[in-house]
Order: sequence, then structure tokens, then C-alpha cells
Amino acid sequence: MSQIAFVAFWLAMASYAGATVLYAYYLLNKRQALSWYATFLTGAGFLLHTASIGFQSSATDGTELTGANVLILMAWALVLVYFALEHVWKLKIYGTVLVPAALVLMLIAQLLGASTSVLKELSGHQRELLDSWRVGIHVALIAFANAGFAIAAVASVAYLVIERQLKRRTSSKLFKRMPSLAQTDMVARRSILWAFPAYSAGLLLGVLRAIETDVELWWADPRVVLAGLVWAFFGGYVLLRWMKGWAGRSAAYLALAGFVLVAIVAVVARTVESGFHLFGL
Amino acid sequence: MHLVLVGLSHKTAPVEIREKLTFPANVQPEALSALTRGDEINEAVILSTCNRTEIYAVAATEDGGVEAVLDFLATFHDLDRHELVRYLYVVSGDAVVRHLFRVVASLDSMVIGEAQILHQVKEAYDHAFSAGATGRAFNKLFRQSFEVGKRVRTETAIGESAVSISYAAVELAKKVFDTLDGRTILILGAGKMSELTAKHLVSQGVARVLVVNRTFARAEELAERFCGTAVEYDRLYDALRETDIVISSTAATEYVITKRDLAPAAKHRSRPLFLIDIAVPRDIDPDVNDLSGVFLYDIDDLNGVVESNLEERMVEARRAEGIIDEEIASFFAWLEAMEVVPTVAAIRAKAEVIRQMELEKAMKRLDLSEKDRKTVEALTCAIVNKMLHGPTARLKKASAGKDGYVYMDIARALYGLEDSEDKHGPGAFRNLLNVKAREIVEKQKETGDTFGDCGA
Repeated sequence: MSQIAFVAFWLAMASYAGATVLYAYYLLNKRQALSWYATFLTGAGFLLHTASIGFQSSATDGTELTGANVLILMAWALVLVYFALEHVWKLKIYGTVLVPAALVLMLIAQLLGASTSVLKELSGHQRELLDSWRVGIHVALIAFANAGFAIAAVASVAYLVIERQLKRRTSSKLFKRMPSLAQTDMVARRSILWAFPAYSAGLLLGVLRAIETDVELWWADPRVVLAGLVWAFFGGYVLLRWMKGWAGRSAAYLALAGFVLVAIVAVVARTVESGFHLFGL
Repeated sequence: MHLVLVGLSHKTAPVEIREKLTFPANVQPEALSALTRGDEINEAVILSTCNRTEIYAVAATEDGGVEAVLDFLATFHDLDRHELVRYLYVVSGDAVVRHLFRVVASLDSMVIGEAQILHQVKEAYDHAFSAGATGRAFNKLFRQSFEVGKRVRTETAIGESAVSISYAAVELAKKVFDTLDGRTILILGAGKMSELTAKHLVSQGVARVLVVNRTFARAEELAERFCGTAVEYDRLYDALRETDIVISSTAATEYVITKRDLAPAAKHRSRPLFLIDIAVPRDIDPDVNDLSGVFLYDIDDLNGVVESNLEERMVEARRAEGIIDEEIASFFAWLEAMEVVPTVAAIRAKAEVIRQMELEKAMKRLDLSEKDRKTVEALTCAIVNKMLHGPTARLKKASAGKDGYVYMDIARALYGLEDSEDKHGPGAFRNLLNVKAREIVEKQKETGDTFGDCGA
């Protein structure tokens, strides 16, 4: 099973790599047919990616929540959310960034290696902590929320680039291929609107699980602290947008800063050996 | 078959001449009938637009065809032929195909990449087709030219970017707002240029038009034209709070909109404000562009966008030339098949394949000596040669005539020579024969041999 998962994983990466090249070519040249092939390859990669996760889970009697596996899940969520984005808003242009981003996450996961040694060293109490459906949903919700934050960040970068071009009154081929200012703002806003409740629910499930298993000083775990900071940041974003009518450049910078925090959480979670989230290393 | 083109365009003739040589839709049947009445012109298509009048013809002879078209133009429009010739260009042979493909791809247009020409050529062809003035050659040529036009438009970005000031403004507004549906525009000043730009914006779905002018009556007049609302001049900044796009074109000598006055309104906006200043001297302080969410384009900026778009179209035009080269090669491959030598060669090769196959079958059943075998082989060769000699000789003779390619076409149809190229052919056996025939011809080309053992 794990061998099939391994092959499917590499085939998925190859498909994403092919899609990345096609998306880039689609961005630079007007080749509608190429975008179709890019979507096709991304779809094929996604199915292989799903199969790989499924086979690996079967081989290990459930998905092990190692740092590498969580990255693979995040890449999977990112592609799935991108497909939803492409389907709902008919925006293929985001594939030029999101598909390679998923590929990079998978490559990092591969570099980290599927280290299960950390899991073997876990104490009985920590194992008990993981033994609940809530943990799986907690991870899934956070993965999807992170995918949403990533899409908002990409849209915000696009917003800033387009705004800069418009302010400077310069035009380029790339500028013409980019979506409109209003659309990038809308994508960022809606992505966060969907991601924030998912993140909140994910955090809530994690906290509930920590409380019910009597984890000492759970709130002092660096990952929990930083995740709380991310939550507060995006909570502030939502409030400022809807209460104060923030939009445009400032909202884009805020979304970007929020994503930087998300990235910091991801790095800390995989490097700092403290707190109870040790299984995520 | 000789392809001939006689015409004039914006590049060779002023409008005073071009307007004398037009062929409106209602006169085309009569004109096409007059053009193809004689022996010289076999097929014709008349393309008549505001920028060009071109007569495409399939003629029996090249010179005769050109003369016939020139005579027709002068007679039909009652013009002095010698005077007319000064403005005309004559294209013949292969260059006609390239010219048509370039025209359809809008590479020969006044504004490269404009979309209208494809539709105009289609119309011209439809008129000729309805009048019975086209045959197989032009049916193929013009239909392929439409494919060229479509390919160029879909595979290149030649027609994507705006090349006029007003369209550039619309394009930029869309870059800011994505769609103009439900947007509010404010026309500041009642100049012609702002009116034209506003027209383009309104055609894109703008919901509300506000007009501000020093003379309120003039503002009301313009607002009425757009079903909009006239606003008092001193309520300009109030109106700006509700506005998404401003088109400014007043005759004021000082800035009408300043950064200091706009800043409070801009600060409380949650959506962008796009300002188009087409006045000279400018109406809007350039510093307003520094305000967050405010985008200002003056006439020079719009000109810059247009120039950049034109440059891009030139780059795309080079890509379009590549597509045209491919399509020309495809058309000439078809045309070559219509020539007499390859047609006769294909008929003979096909007959030779059949002869060899039948001979082989018969030889398996008969136990013949080597001498008898050679006699039978010579017999079959003689039968094939005699059967084909008359038709091929007459085909060669007919090919030199006015309707030569029609004979060729019929011959190819009768011998089933085209089915190998066509997936809808009647059967695999025929295709196999064609493939084998082609192999034999190729082999003979390599060895310098002519039609197999039989000779021709």
C-alpha cells in the first residue's frame, strides 16, 4: 500500500509540475487550450494526490499527523480550494501561483521526510490526545483555512501589483493578463470570509480536545499562542473590513501580514520542540 | 487556373477615389454577373469596405484576367481607366492567397487587429456565392481564409487591447472595476471627447450618469442625452462621493479637482475612484493620483496606453504571419493536388497498384513459365496503358483551358483520389490503394523511374 502511495505521490507531483509549466505559458501567451491542459493535469494530480493520501492512510491505519503529512494535506486542500475558486469565479490565473505553491509544499514535505519516529516516541497521554475524531477535523479545518489565507495572500499581492501599475500608468503584457483590481480585492475578501470561520472552528476543536484530555499549560504551547495571534489578526481584518469599510491597499497589506503569521506558525510548528504539539514536528 | 487580384485601399488611394469604386451589397449581384460574363473570369469575389475595394478573380490567363478586371472597374463605374490605374494594385498568382489571408487577419487594415474585416470578407464571399460567382477554388480559398481570421484572433492577442483613446479609457476602467455594470460616471464639462468616452462607458453597462458643467443648461442637455442627471457645479464634490468614474473635459485654465478638496471624499470611500482627464490644459491636479484608491489618467497617459497596445499588436502581427504561412502551405498543398501532373500520376499509380494486385492473385492460381508470365504481365501493362492513355491525354489538354481545374476536380472524384485525404471516404480498401499508390510514386521519385514496369 505504501509503495502505491509513494508512486501516486510522485506522479501527483509530476502532474502539478506539468500544470505549473502550462499555467506559466498560459499566463504569458494567449493559449486557451493550454489552460485546459493545465487544469486537466492539475485535476489528474489532485486525484493521484488524493489516492496517495488514501493509500498511505490505509497502510498506517489512519493518517499520521506528522509535519510532512500535514503539509501534504495542506497542499491537497490548497488545490481543492483552487478548483472551487476556478469553478465559482472562472479564474484560471490563480492556478499560476497556487498549483506551484502546492507543489512546493509537497516538495518540502518530501524533504522533511515521512518521519514517524516522533510519533513512536510520544507518551501514552499524547497518544490519547490524538485518538479522537476531533483531532482529524481540527487538522482538516486548519488546512482548509490556511489554503483560504494563502489564496487571499496571492490575491492581495496581485492587487498591489495591479494597483502599482495603475498608479504608475504603465502597461505590460503581464498587467494585461492579470485580473481586475476589484476582482482581486473580492477574491481576498471572500477567501478570508470563508477561511476565518473554518480557522475558528478548527482552533475551537483543538482547544476542546486539549481541555478534555487535561493537557497542562496547553495555552502556552507556541503553536497555540501563534495560532491565537493569527486568529486575532484575521478577526481584526474581518472587523475592519465590515465595520470600518477597509478595502484596497490597506486591506491587501493586512491580508498579506496575516499570511506571513500563518507561515511563521507553520515553520514554528515544525521546528520548535516545545509544547504538546510535538507530533507535528 | 490563375489567381488575380486588382484593388485599391487606404494605402494607395484617397477617400475621393475610394468612394467612387464602392460596390454596395445591392449592386454586387449585377457587378459579379458582369464580371464573370466573359470567357476570361471564371470566379470572382468583390470585397468593398470603406478602406478598400478589391476584386479577387480566378482567370483563364493572368494578363487577360487583369485586363478584364480593369475594364470591368472602369466600365462599371464609368471612370477613366488610365486615371484609375494610378491608384490600383495588381497581385497575381500565389501572392493573392497571402494578400487575402493578411487582409482577413486584419494585418493589412488601417488599424491592425480590428475585428470588422473578417465579417466584411465573409459578407463579400456570401454575395459572390449567392450570385453563383464562386467555384471550387474560391470556395476553398475563402473558407480557408475565414479559418485564418479565426485562428489569428484566437491564437494571438492581436485584437485584445484598445487602440483608441476612448476605448483605452474603457479598458482601464474595467481593469479597476472588473465590470462597469451598476457603476456611476460623472461627466465634468460637456466637450465632444468626454461625450464620446461616456458613450463607450454607458454601452458597457454603466447604470448612472451625472453631468456637471458651469452652464447648468448645457449640463441638463447632455444629461438628457444619456438619461442621466445634471448636477449644479458647486455640488461637484458631493457628486464625486457617489461616483466611480469621472471623465473630465472642461475648458478651465486651472485645476477643477484638486488633491486638497478630493482628499476628504477619497478617505471615506471603500471603492476606487477612476479619473479620466482628457482636457488640455488639465482639469485634475495630478497629485490626486497619490490618494489611496484614486487612479488618474490624463490624455498623455491614455495615449501612452494606446501606443503600448499598438506596439503589442505589431508583435502579435508577427505571430499572425506565422499562422498565415502555415495556412498558405496548407492551401497550396490542396491546390497542387488540383494540378494536372500529380493528378495524372496519381491515376496511373493507382491503376498500377490494381494491376499488380490482380496479377499477383492470378499468378498464384496459374502455373506459368517465366516466358508466359512475362507475356501476361506485358498484356496487363498494355491494357492499363491503353485504357488510361485517352483520358489522361484529354485531361492534360483540358487542364490548359479555362475550366481546367474543374476537369481535374472531376477526374480526382471519379478515380477516388481524394478519399485518402478525407476521413469520410467510402472505404478502407480505397484508402489502402491510395496509400500504396503514393508509396509507389514516392519510390519512383527516389529511383527516377516512371510508372512502374509499364511506363507511360
